[in-house]
Amino acid sequence: MGFFLVLKAEIVRGFIIARRYWFASLTGIVVGYGMLFMLITALMTGSEQIADMAEDAVGGALKLIIGIFAFGIVGLFSQGLQGMARTGELEQVCMSPHGLVTNFLARSFVAALSSILSLSLVIWLIALSFGGRGTLQFDFLPTVTLLALTYVNLIGFGFMVGGLVLIFKQTGQIAILIRLGMIGLAFPAQENINQWPLFLQTIIHVLPVTNAAICLNDVLIEGVGTAVFGYRAFYFLILSCVIWTAIGISLFRYMEDWSRDKGTLGAY
Amino acid sequence: MTGDNSVVRLDQTDKVFHTRHFFSRDPKTQIRHFYQKRDVHAVRDVSLGVAPGEIFGLLGPNGAGKTTIVKMISGLVRPTGGAVYVDGLEVERKRLQVLRRVGVVLEGTRTCIWPLTPMENLSYFGNLKDVRGKVLRKRATELLEFIGLAEKRDVQVRQLSQGQKQKLAICIALIADPPVILLDEPTTGLDVQSSRAIKDKIVEMTRVQGKCCLVTTHDMNVAQELCDRIGIIKDGGLVACKPTDQLLDLFSEQVYEFRLDQSPDTRALEAIPGVVAARVEEQGDGPVCTVQIEPERDARSAALYGAVGEFQAQGLRLHTISHRQQNLEQVFLRLTNGQPHE
Repeated sequence: MGFFLVLKAEIVRGFIIARRYWFASLTGIVVGYGMLFMLITALMTGSEQIADMAEDAVGGALKLIIGIFAFGIVGLFSQGLQGMARTGELEQVCMSPHGLVTNFLARSFVAALSSILSLSLVIWLIALSFGGRGTLQFDFLPTVTLLALTYVNLIGFGFMVGGLVLIFKQTGQIAILIRLGMIGLAFPAQENINQWPLFLQTIIHVLPVTNAAICLNDVLIEGVGTAVFGYRAFYFLILSCVIWTAIGISLFRYMEDWSRDKGTLGAY
Repeated sequence: MTGDNSVVRLDQTDKVFHTRHFFSRDPKTQIRHFYQKRDVHAVRDVSLGVAPGEIFGLLGPNGAGKTTIVKMISGLVRPTGGAVYVDGLEVERKRLQVLRRVGVVLEGTRTCIWPLTPMENLSYFGNLKDVRGKVLRKRATELLEFIGLAEKRDVQVRQLSQGQKQKLAICIALIADPPVILLDEPTTGLDVQSSRAIKDKIVEMTRVQGKCCLVTTHDMNVAQELCDRIGIIKDGGLVACKPTDQLLDLFSEQVYEFRLDQSPDTRALEAIPGVVAARVEEQGDGPVCTVQIEPERDARSAALYGAVGEFQAQGLRLHTISHRQQNLEQVFLRLTNGQPHE
């Protein structure tokens, strides 16, 4: 019940700020669209097989967008938390009787929802700009399932990063590298990595984002639909969700306790 | 004092912060070390209690441990030893339940969200503190009226003055109607009017609504004017904890000032039993005779009657009599400079 109350508060706050700063929100979408448009155009330039290239380019753009999504969610737990500590907002959140974990779950849920909505708009505009070539296959059940699992996977990892930032505020800067790494990981992700060395396969499957990127790419670009539920990456995604969430939340709680001991909870 | 009716109670509370330093100079030896672990004893064996309807002031120099005590009560810092209780609940064991009973305004932080209006801020933080629906709306409206921000309810916080932001921070602390209010430097940086308004509200919250309030401040006037009891903290330890009037009497020397129309004969005054010393100071509006009297109650009474009688016998006109009392600043400085007291 407490989670839904906090969730409501976060949704209302997010909506008010997006409405009040509508120009900034709109500019963000336009800039995102513009950058992707130029990237895809650059990838297609000089190619004779424009139709195939368009499809590949939209696929690449989708992976980039998944990476950006991961970048944003994990950022909430790193730079976001660091910023909240700097302004004093974190101390207020720490004094909420719902607990810090519930507050951050709700906060990340709203951030994910907002990212999914704006990024979906960008993807749709990109697909439309290229005359329907590379149009996304939106299959409701697998898409929503994969987005939900991607979110859980990322918040688990985010909680782990957030736990570290609670104690060592300066690690927020290092977290930028981790977040950029997530964008990098989304690109090479593909289902047919069986021929890769075992340790690389393991790393790819254990790290967050990659499994999600493989599955989402095949559902949205290739249109494999519910067949994705038979993918090895799908089961790795579930496993990865369980592992990262357990590790992330446990570590976050431990760090929250340690932070109270050190007297740094909520303070920068 | 740790009375049984205390809503907030600290029992022999200790807090040691362990800090680690790389390439730093030892403050005592001035020798630079590659790595050094230091212990900072922020709070030492502090025991105190705050009753319902009471304003308790915590005074101390910078770094004395006042904010650490506030943070221990609000669950942001874990004590190393002893225990902290709020409404009978131990903060360490029932932290989330305690947070429902405590409203905190911490010093110098941006406690409100600037892009939102005061009403939106109260709705947001109300939800975070488990207040909802009609109760939340009613309480938010009442609080904004109570604190004098009703006219600004729909103005973004970024456009409010420092005093108005501080008032809003107090409203946020009160939104869950907690029985305990912790205010860390509530009037710092405020103008006279805002400071006055906040002090009035603190008095109203405690006297009328029966809340218990712990205030930390550097402003001696605020402490002397507001607080029923004052604790003075130095290097983490409580050096005094008394009702404000008793604290002011700590170093009192029983000195009385008699404002007269002419200078009296001080030798005749010093001959009165119970009078220790007498001298005359010429001030702008006439002479003031300062008479130091023995502190013992009977001797003091006899000496005062004797002095008044002597002035009359000398044919002097007496305008005013006043007891020269120490102010809180003098008491604070004497206590924090290590002067012993009972």
